[in-house]
Amino acid sequence: MLKIENLHASVGDKKVLSGLSLEVKAGEVHAIMGPNGSGKSTLAHVLAGRPGYTISQGTVTFDGRDLLALEPEQRAREGVFLGFQYPVEIPGVNNVYLLKAAVNAARKHRGLPEVDAFDFLALVREKMKLMRMDESFLSRGVNEGFSGGEKKRNEILQMLVLEPRLGILDETDSGLDIDALKIVAAGVNSLRGAERAFVLVTHYQRLLDYVVPDHVHVLVGGRIARSGDASLALELERRGYDWVTEEAA
Amino acid sequence: MTAALAEKISEAHAAVRDSLAPAVVTPDQRQRALRALAAAGLPTTRDENWKYANLRSLERVHFAPSSPRPRTDIPEAALPARIEGYARYTFVDGVFAPELSSVVDVRGVSVTSPRSSGAHGRSASVATRMAAALRAVESGAVPAARSDDRLAWLNEVFATDSARVDVGEGVDCPACIEVLFVATEPAQTAASYPRLEINVGANARLGLIERHVTALDDANFVNAAVHVNVSAGAQVSHYRLQQAGARATWFDTLSAAVEKDARYDLYVVNLGSLSARSTFHVALVGERAELGLHVVSLADNLQVHDGFALVEHIAPYSKSEQNVRGIAGGRARVAFNSKVVVREHARGTDSRQSLRGLLAGPQAEIDVRPQLEIYTDDVRCNHGATAGKLDDNMLFYLLSRGIERDMAQQLLKWAFLEDVVARITVPELRRHIEASLAGQMKETAAVKELV
Repeated sequence: MLKIENLHASVGDKKVLSGLSLEVKAGEVHAIMGPNGSGKSTLAHVLAGRPGYTISQGTVTFDGRDLLALEPEQRAREGVFLGFQYPVEIPGVNNVYLLKAAVNAARKHRGLPEVDAFDFLALVREKMKLMRMDESFLSRGVNEGFSGGEKKRNEILQMLVLEPRLGILDETDSGLDIDALKIVAAGVNSLRGAERAFVLVTHYQRLLDYVVPDHVHVLVGGRIARSGDASLALELERRGYDWVTEEAA
Repeated sequence: MTAALAEKISEAHAAVRDSLAPAVVTPDQRQRALRALAAAGLPTTRDENWKYANLRSLERVHFAPSSPRPRTDIPEAALPARIEGYARYTFVDGVFAPELSSVVDVRGVSVTSPRSSGAHGRSASVATRMAAALRAVESGAVPAARSDDRLAWLNEVFATDSARVDVGEGVDCPACIEVLFVATEPAQTAASYPRLEINVGANARLGLIERHVTALDDANFVNAAVHVNVSAGAQVSHYRLQQAGARATWFDTLSAAVEKDARYDLYVVNLGSLSARSTFHVALVGERAELGLHVVSLADNLQVHDGFALVEHIAPYSKSEQNVRGIAGGRARVAFNSKVVVREHARGTDSRQSLRGLLAGPQAEIDVRPQLEIYTDDVRCNHGATAGKLDDNMLFYLLSRGIERDMAQQLLKWAFLEDVVARITVPELRRHIEASLAGQMKETAAVKELV
């Protein structure tokens, strides 16, 4: 589904990704771990199309299409979803309105008619229940005045409603208490399926107790230094990142 | 002002002098205003507080008002829809048009037009107030207000009629009156001089809409003068919609005095005009008097929206809050210069200024300038001014959800203005304003759906 080959990316003069390769197949969950500054978040942003990065080498294909040639909004409509580490507040744009506009943009792309307003609201309410979100959410601005945990739950809610094919979650677990972490994990797990894949960018192993990955990769210096199964995350939790870093050097 | 311009105004006045209603402004007062104007001159862009205004059209204007009789050929359909609950008083080219008006039916509220009622005795109080203010300044009794009344004098020279709203003590009329000013004449033919005076008695509550529109011809010259008296304990919500013609030059001078424990909220929505300039002077004269000044400007193409506000804290514990949001697209310019002066007796003053502009066109211009002058201790004044483009993080967030770029930009512009528009608590009025904004933002159906 997603194939990254020899990807090199920089921000200004700073090289952040140096020859990263990764293949994610439908149905799989990949965890990208690594020390601070190893390029985890850059990878997530580059995949979603955030401006400000220069790609000097490498290719990324999504279902065989050149992902890097697409605008961020086109990627989203093709089924790529980025869950932000720091979701922005947009007062004045209503949460539900954004959700509906996003769903309709994707439907239009697929040649489907707009969603029925009544059915849509029912769907949002159902997903909100799963994410334990308050009814007042419906009338508020996007992330406006939300706590850190509420913002993260809102990211997952958006993902649940949009049902992307590839969910990229950038440190969704950071700043969450254990209850919120479980809610977020339940949300992700509810979407897991043969047609869908996830890339979980995380610093800690904690989230992976609840969303068990098929593959774990450790990023060091902008490339994958080590890959393994879920047990690698446990080993990292026990031993830290230093040994992987040293091995990579 | 060039001598030629002074001469032109003087000649225009001489030509129509006999047709100007003495009940609106007495001939003596008109002469006095004419002399003051000749001495002080009309503003030019060399004046510090006028440098962002577009004053070029003053050279081409025919200053005299049109015939004293209002035209009656304007169909109701050409006017904006009425807003439920508000009695409409329509003035065409500055003259009361009863056939386009309805009557307010609330005890203690009256709207009069001195021209049609012939009520000489109570007519010219704006002028009287101004004359008194002038004398007070000359005698040194009060510090010279640094507001700029020159265009109000011009209004006084030519005023054809006025709307006088009186609200009795303790009267409660939160959704009350709409005063609609319609301009129909092209600037080369005749000018329009709307005039509005609002007197609100102690502990009364008033909601009033002042709206400026165009009909028949959209290249008008409009020069309005408004005065508001808010008595002790009263609350006034004054909504102004500037929807003047697309080629119009629109000026306005508003002064307000807010007394003890009273609150005055002025909501200004600037949409129309090729060139618009508002001059506000609000004096918080009583203890704990409060002002909320909320301004939204949406300018595109070649439009210029310029504003200057002077807020004077004269009495102790007075409070003012200003929220200005402007968007300039195309080659448009939005400017807002706000000066807060805290006088020596105004201890405990609390003043906030938030002036923000958004550049939405490659050649657009935003000029926002907060100023503070403080002559006492123990005050809390804060101000913020920003001018910038759409927030890249917000834009990327919307794009990453699959929203089209155009639509994402429109949504963010909308959100930027909503910051102020959301403060309008009358649902129907707010919807109307939102619909007008959405109409102005044109292209996307997306924004309309938000309304």
